[in-house]
Amino acid sequence: MTQLTERRRERTRAGVPRPRRGSAPDGTRRAVPGRHRPGHVPAWLAAPSLAGLALMLVYPTLFVVALAVTKSSLARPLQRFTGTDNLVEAWESLAFAGSLVRSVVFAVVAALAATLIGVLLALLLHARGTRFGVVGTILLLPLVTPPVMVGVAWKLMLAPVGGAFGGVFSALGFPGANPLGDGVGAFSALVVMHVWQWTPLVTLLVFAALLGVPGELREAAALDGAGAFRSFTNVVWPVVAPNVFSVLLLELVIGLKVFDLVAVVTQGGPGVSTIVAGFEIFRTGMRGSYEIGTAAAQTLVFGLVVGVLTTAVTLLRARAVKADR
Amino acid sequence: MSAASPAATPAVTLRRGGVRVALAAVAVVALLPLLFLVSLSLRSVDDIANGGWLPSRFVWSNFSAAFSTVPLSTMLANSWVVAVGATVLTSLVAVPAAYVTARAGARGERLQAVLLASYCAPPIVAVLPLYYLLKQADLTNTAAGLILVNGLANVPVAVWLLDGFVRRVPVEVEEAGWVDGLSTTGGLVRLVLPLLAPGLVAALLICLFLSYNEFLFAVSFSQSTGSQTLPVGLSLFQGDRTVQFGQQAAASLVGIVPMYVLAVVAQKWLVGGLSAGAVK
Repeated sequence: MTQLTERRRERTRAGVPRPRRGSAPDGTRRAVPGRHRPGHVPAWLAAPSLAGLALMLVYPTLFVVALAVTKSSLARPLQRFTGTDNLVEAWESLAFAGSLVRSVVFAVVAALAATLIGVLLALLLHARGTRFGVVGTILLLPLVTPPVMVGVAWKLMLAPVGGAFGGVFSALGFPGANPLGDGVGAFSALVVMHVWQWTPLVTLLVFAALLGVPGELREAAALDGAGAFRSFTNVVWPVVAPNVFSVLLLELVIGLKVFDLVAVVTQGGPGVSTIVAGFEIFRTGMRGSYEIGTAAAQTLVFGLVVGVLTTAVTLLRARAVKADR
Repeated sequence: MSAASPAATPAVTLRRGGVRVALAAVAVVALLPLLFLVSLSLRSVDDIANGGWLPSRFVWSNFSAAFSTVPLSTMLANSWVVAVGATVLTSLVAVPAAYVTARAGARGERLQAVLLASYCAPPIVAVLPLYYLLKQADLTNTAAGLILVNGLANVPVAVWLLDGFVRRVPVEVEEAGWVDGLSTTGGLVRLVLPLLAPGLVAALLICLFLSYNEFLFAVSFSQSTGSQTLPVGLSLFQGDRTVQFGQQAAASLVGIVPMYVLAVVAQKWLVGGLSAGAVK
């Protein structure tokens, strides 16, 4: 996700020596007896975050694997070993297979839409000046709104009676239309809400990257007779491309996490049309029949899908960045 | 705004006008759902049923009614306690971690990579294991449980943002301190930390928003009426058909407006922190 190697290169270029571990005092610095050597980063500074990782990443992963191969109830986990029963059950559940597809479609479509719109907005803002300005402040508001309340606001707007679009729908010849009433409409509505919330993040980050495009390069391109489009493809894009790909990956990750909107706006309906993987796992494990083992098995499969997808995009990004150099 | 470029040809003026109109449209789209909430919160039941965008008559009773229909003040208090507590925890963990990622060479980069990988994992993965853990520790339905979980969950984001700020502090600043006998940790606390302030403000605000907005952990671990946070309370509000639109809108606004004020007041730091931290 970050540009680790690039950063390393940058630092050497800047002539800042990399802090070395275990190297002998080189004579230019006084060694303080009985203390850490200056510049040596003590390992315990990383301890709190490593403990956090153990609690939030290592333990959950191991425990989910254990839950997936055993029978559990909410009151008593890991009752007896059941082998692959849970995995088979998760795999055979049509609702789950569908939810995986929906999660991926949701995340990919939303990430592409948010990135495209966000980049265009950033270019628009940048055409006006170097300050983020009033519009920028307004764009922060969707970003800091709790997704639950985004859902509430949009659901109220889309309500057939008392909603905001009743008049619009009538004018278009669909009086009483209810986008949340059919599967495709509800799924699209959720994508729109999510994109509404997360596009500003793209705009913000890409706008910052645009400020890093050297002005002289643009001027030189303009002197050479390059129009706005040529100037963008030849001068601006190569500089901002790595950031745009990072943001795309970030948006993809955010899209795969979607849960709140579904829980508030559609509850997975109508039918199963908006059940995404996160919601299905929650429904299986934490609600209704509390099938912990199945939910754990589903979690493993979903984790695998997320891993494959984000790795693929990371590799694509690495290749695109390399090609741009 | 005061564009006094020497050669303001009609074409340039036209283009500037176009940009301005487009930006105004963007602002309207960004504000639309929020303005509609404001409108709903000020209308009576009949007025809402009649449709339309604007109140025909302003009604203030939705706000007081929302506070009596649901335990809104308890939810608000819970949300604030969890958000502030989690943010404090995040900063205690993330500041030393960001120092490691920025200054400890290959070790630091490995830590950064693992933290980012953990951010990519959807939180649903951790829900079942953390539920059992919190229950074992008697921390379900408590603010402490949510503070622990949210505080740790946001560490990768904070480190990601702070890392760039630590890197921008010249090592020479610390070297001067080391010569004077400061340890590395002493240098971090006395010399680096004050210089991190703008980035720290941004990172902490973003973590505050993330914890305040968090829903999945809250709905999984804190469902009792006394420990519900605002997003959980409002989501339940949804299923309840007796609650009216006007009250829902009012309750939502009571929850969001303080955050909006914070975001607008701290806009400079937020934008600066996000861009400087993320664009490296």
